[in-house]
Amino acid sequence: MKLLKTVSVIALAFSSSTLMAQIHIIDIQITNLTHAQHFTPRLVIAHDESFDAFEPGVEATSALAWLGEAGVIDDAQNPASSGENFEALLGPTVTDNGSNTWQRFGGLSAPSTSENVSFNTMDKTHLSILTMLIPTNDAFAGLDSIKIPTDPGTYTYMLNAYDGGTELNDELNSMRTDIVEQGGTPLGGYGAPGVAGAGASPIPLGTGGTGVAIKVGFAEDGSTIGFNEVADGTDGPVHIHRNILGDTSLTDGSSDLQSTEHRWLNPVARVTITITAI
Amino acid sequence: MKMKKISLALLPFITVLVMGCGSDGDDDATTSVTEVDEADDTIGTSDTDGENGNLAIFTVQLTNLTFGQPLSPAAIILHESGFNTFIDGESASLGLEQLAEAGDPAELIFEALAAVEYLGSVTIEAATPPKSVSDISTLSIPLLDVEDLRISFTTMLVDTNDAFTALNAANISNMTVGQSMTFTTPTWDAGTEANTETANTMPGPAASAAGGGGENAGFDAARDDLFDLVHFHTGVVTNANASDGGKEGLNTSVLTEADRWDNPTAQLIVTRTK
Repeated sequence: MKLLKTVSVIALAFSSSTLMAQIHIIDIQITNLTHAQHFTPRLVIAHDESFDAFEPGVEATSALAWLGEAGVIDDAQNPASSGENFEALLGPTVTDNGSNTWQRFGGLSAPSTSENVSFNTMDKTHLSILTMLIPTNDAFAGLDSIKIPTDPGTYTYMLNAYDGGTELNDELNSMRTDIVEQGGTPLGGYGAPGVAGAGASPIPLGTGGTGVAIKVGFAEDGSTIGFNEVADGTDGPVHIHRNILGDTSLTDGSSDLQSTEHRWLNPVARVTITITAI
Repeated sequence: MKMKKISLALLPFITVLVMGCGSDGDDDATTSVTEVDEADDTIGTSDTDGENGNLAIFTVQLTNLTFGQPLSPAAIILHESGFNTFIDGESASLGLEQLAEAGDPAELIFEALAAVEYLGSVTIEAATPPKSVSDISTLSIPLLDVEDLRISFTTMLVDTNDAFTALNAANISNMTVGQSMTFTTPTWDAGTEANTETANTMPGPAASAAGGGGENAGFDAARDDLFDLVHFHTGVVTNANASDGGKEGLNTSVLTEADRWDNPTAQLIVTRTK
């Protein structure tokens, strides 16, 4: 803090606060610690204290819903998310947006793999990282507004899996065509039931599951709907994910996920930040 | 963006200035007035209120991180080092047993009051519902005690037999005024009651919905867990998937998949305000 205050004093002396917009590269390593959950492209945000990408006990933004349900961060990934995604919330990527600067990194990150990225914090004070776990309904790993270290060194953070709270954890395979969202929309992705990224799983998902947090053919209040329909509900605010239930059947049971493969225990990711001397 | 280039060009210059100012860092600290109560932050020095009788004040706020487990009224205790509300691997006190089985913090607070290390306590009056943030509670202690200060809190996951989440004597010594510390906490099993997950052994709403719950289903003096020792909780089995071929669930449990959790189950934010 002392250093920052001194810098700001100097900046004021020069009557130009933009002097603080320095280029400040930090090296970030992100490791997927799960057994069988891929990470969607990583959202890395450097920001000031006015911004909070997510907070346990607080309802998710539409931007977090897009990331948590579909792994979508910006328009380039999915034009349908335009105006509702993190790009809309934060501003252009790789730009000093005042309160923040952000970047999307990589493609799918497989279990037990690491990725190294260099990120320009543009001298923002805090760092958040988000990535969806697939196949899940709306689980994401989150680094929640840590203060970016200023002393040179290597710093390690363990990330928990959160539930975005914007979709019920039905654990239904979105590649199934025998069931649809109530009203007829196919399963999967943003705003629809079913786990996203079913095709990315290192082992096949089952079919024939009857649903975990919500049952096929029933509304949330237990009343019946179409026999092949899945109701779309929410279970927010944001909270620590209670983990996949799964089951051991590929053809029936409640879940299309596998209890022996798709579960995790926190932490689900490790982030290592290396700060080098300026 | 042109300004960014200018700032880059000035970077070596600024670095030199920063290093130059760093040598008289104390001056910097006193000139950057951000806290009105900063004078009180200096231990052992007199201010307008005099040296004795000054208080350090802390606020605490609890977040229930679980999807479906209400947290019982939380006992939050400030104390010196040397006191613990529990030690894993040892037997639970009666106070911890009553908190972990019935959600009643009174005896645990009473035990803390009897300890010479005790400094202050507060109980969050209401249960903290799942996925929610509690009201802010305030604790005050003599100013001189901030040099060796620990915080503990304990609260029951009420749709369980004897699960609790707790912070065990975390070191919050010498926090500065305005500073916040955030703690996330795992879940222990008090080891005082078998994890039957039945309606007549758990006090919470899940048991009530199944015809049990409430006070009668809470505290039981008998200690019938496998080992009468505090240990890490393995999670609830629940009746999910109890009737499928795999028999993964516990068909005598009144809990459902929605009562499951993963750690951490609670977050506590401690802020020193004076």
